[in-house]
Amino acid sequence: MNATSPDAVDGIVPSSVVHPGSVAEVQAVVRAGRTLVVSGLGAHLDVGAPPARVDTLVRLDRVDRVVDHEAADMTVTAQAGCSLATLERVLGEVGQWLPLDPPSPERTTVGGLIAANLSGPLRASQGTVRDLLIGIRTVDAEGRLVASGGKVVKNVAGYDLPKLHVGALGTVGVVVEATFKVRPRPELEEAALMYAGTLGGAADVALAVRDVLDPLWLEAGTLERGPGVAVGVGGIAPEIAAARHTIEWVGARGCVAVEWTRDGAALRRRLGAFPAAPALAVVRTSVLPTEVGATMAELRRISGDVPVLSHVANGVVRARLDDPEALRRILAELRPAIEAAGGFVVVERARPDAKRRVDVWGHLGPDLALMRRVKAAYDPRGIFAPGRFVGGM
Amino acid sequence: MSLPDLAARLRVLVGDDGVVDHPDALRVYDCDGYTLERAAPELVVLPRTPRDVAAVVRLLASEDIPFVPRGAGTGLSGGTLPVGAPIMICTSRLQAIEAIDRRNRRIVVQAGVVNQWVTNAVRADGLHYAPDPSSQPACTIGGNVAENSGGPHTLKYGVTTNHVLGVELVLPSGDVVQLGGAVEDRPGYDLTGLAVGSEGTFGIVTRATLRLVRTPEGYRTLLAVFDSVEAASEAVSGIIAAGIVPAALEMMDRLIIGAVEAAYGIGLPTDAGAVLLAEIDGPAAGLDDQLARIEAVCGAHGSRELRVARDDAERAALWKARKRAFGAVGRLAPNYCTQDGVVPRTRVPDILRAIQAAAAKHRLRIGNVFHAGDGNIHPILLFDERDRDEVARVLAAGREILEACVALGGSLTGEHGIGVEKCAQMPLLFGPDDLLAMTALRAVFDPDQRANPHKIFPDAKVCVETRTPRRQAPL
Repeated sequence: MNATSPDAVDGIVPSSVVHPGSVAEVQAVVRAGRTLVVSGLGAHLDVGAPPARVDTLVRLDRVDRVVDHEAADMTVTAQAGCSLATLERVLGEVGQWLPLDPPSPERTTVGGLIAANLSGPLRASQGTVRDLLIGIRTVDAEGRLVASGGKVVKNVAGYDLPKLHVGALGTVGVVVEATFKVRPRPELEEAALMYAGTLGGAADVALAVRDVLDPLWLEAGTLERGPGVAVGVGGIAPEIAAARHTIEWVGARGCVAVEWTRDGAALRRRLGAFPAAPALAVVRTSVLPTEVGATMAELRRISGDVPVLSHVANGVVRARLDDPEALRRILAELRPAIEAAGGFVVVERARPDAKRRVDVWGHLGPDLALMRRVKAAYDPRGIFAPGRFVGGM
Repeated sequence: MSLPDLAARLRVLVGDDGVVDHPDALRVYDCDGYTLERAAPELVVLPRTPRDVAAVVRLLASEDIPFVPRGAGTGLSGGTLPVGAPIMICTSRLQAIEAIDRRNRRIVVQAGVVNQWVTNAVRADGLHYAPDPSSQPACTIGGNVAENSGGPHTLKYGVTTNHVLGVELVLPSGDVVQLGGAVEDRPGYDLTGLAVGSEGTFGIVTRATLRLVRTPEGYRTLLAVFDSVEAASEAVSGIIAAGIVPAALEMMDRLIIGAVEAAYGIGLPTDAGAVLLAEIDGPAAGLDDQLARIEAVCGAHGSRELRVARDDAERAALWKARKRAFGAVGRLAPNYCTQDGVVPRTRVPDILRAIQAAAAKHRLRIGNVFHAGDGNIHPILLFDERDRDEVARVLAAGREILEACVALGGSLTGEHGIGVEKCAQMPLLFGPDDLLAMTALRAVFDPDQRANPHKIFPDAKVCVETRTPRRQAPL
């Protein structure tokens, strides 16, 4: 095998690849005590810092059952290898959804969703994994099966350990099963496009929309025909009609034309694909919503007009890069300023050669010391994806 | 160090009026809203600033003295009971609202800020703080964070953890650490999410950065009257199954209706088996349509009467009845104990039957006022503290109700916490390995177990000084 092998993790080729067929087999793999990186269908293995070492790549694509969908309770339990496409189909039969919309949903598993804390445009109104995950089963560093949370939507018994695993990139255990709250899917989802002339103008329009409406999603950035805003609205017909009216009003006030599309979900999926499989890298910047416009403009100024797209309501701004120099300059020039203002600049995805030359995570605060203790508590031998997470953990 | 010496050193840190050590004054602090067990602290410290909290904790750390954090003392699981911890640190004087960022919908408050004050501070800007526990006129944000508090409107908006972006935590060592913050997607472990709901066992939260939400354009508040709790429960399932997410969906049974009506006289039908209080909110345009759907579901499940609040005053009256139901219960018996359990939403009829069975078996009166849409039950067990046998039966019935919740696939607590009340029952829900995973996290924050010791975990409970419970303070 070589570094371009499909089993390579950021260019590092594992000495073995295993496909456990059951949770018990996952436990056995962990008990072997070798360093491991867990993968589902492989769509998001480019998230995180290059691992320091990978003995075993654990592919969970055979541990993929929908364990339990209690439609009337509005909860669903699935194994880690279950794809979001499968969940969408099962939930869709009764008009429900798990409202998390990362790129490549057909190649995204429940485990990957949690480990990489994946989200998409819907987070503007539906929250992120931490808001929907209510229970989890993991295999700990000793190979024991550990449960926390539960299957009910409201539960404060014991510590909220499911949150420990969200965004942890598999560094504190192997997620094997998860339970989520689900929601009724809006009957209609439509979207408005508003081209604002400039990115700053687009961000202003987006914030103006948010002042008068709770949109289903709210994106701003370099859209197909220039800097603009895309607003998704969901609900029943009278709600959509009222939202249309409100958005038209915002557009008229800002002298921006509004175009409507009936298939809002399709537009959302296209926008949501923005971070996937970049030629070189995707940089994710986190700021306050009011800083989104300035951040987009600054990213473009520094990097030479690369495509940018933001979840405005969440202050998340992404840039797609194909030039290593642009990446270097963003990290050298923009990152210190953003961090000084309380924000973050993370190299969310990158080609292995680009990743190895940069600091993927950036500066972390004084809470890093606590995080190191968390890591030591749950992975004393350092077998779970060493090097992949913040601070080299 | 002797207690008088410690008191003297604490007075240097927080001033003379910041230390309570007179036995009569300490009795105020011998329980919270959970009154079945009592123990007075030896000293109570009332710092005025986050910095003073840290100084107090540092002093206690240097002397290896355990402590109990406390907010307003409205907790319902004995989370502030001083067990094996002589010093209580109250954050109720940390009352500053430090920063409001309206456009970004963030607010930074100190731990002693009362829940209701947060909304009061931003209401004029069309914003509010969503978690709304019934004790919201009194309970503090610090306590809400510790317990991960809920409330009626969490059905749609989520509980405290969904609205806390960051906290400042004084670790049991006295070190101060900022977890999370105003910006989303902070790289690293979600320490904020872990700290919320940790019941004071990680240290003392002194500040919180909260998320604010837009106040809905409109509301429709509906009271649906049913002949039985079964019919009302079926209607709850029907509403959920219809794909409607109400902002709140609450149930009161006949016993509670009677008490509420006697107390507030708002015209509730005292002969009804149960009433549902359903509220939808959002853009004005969709409300009537959604209301019609809910009315249809209630009608299909035998609702004999539907009343829609015609204006804000009527809406306020309905909510007053619901949120002050606990207070009204004082009319029914000298004492009561509010339980908190959760079942999957569809199992509400089963758990209500189990509650009835427990009431019959133990010869108790039990009322129900609860978050039906979440499956979060709140049976209220009535008793007279002077009847020791009845007190014992209340405890036994409470345990059996929780066992039934777990057997139905639910949880020991939805929003009140484990505290001292339920730590012995944690093994019903979690195995030894599950509990080990939790205590490992506690050791990260509090290796010496000095922050709120003997809470949450089953092996931790030591004998609490048991006195005859007094009448509870009004909540």
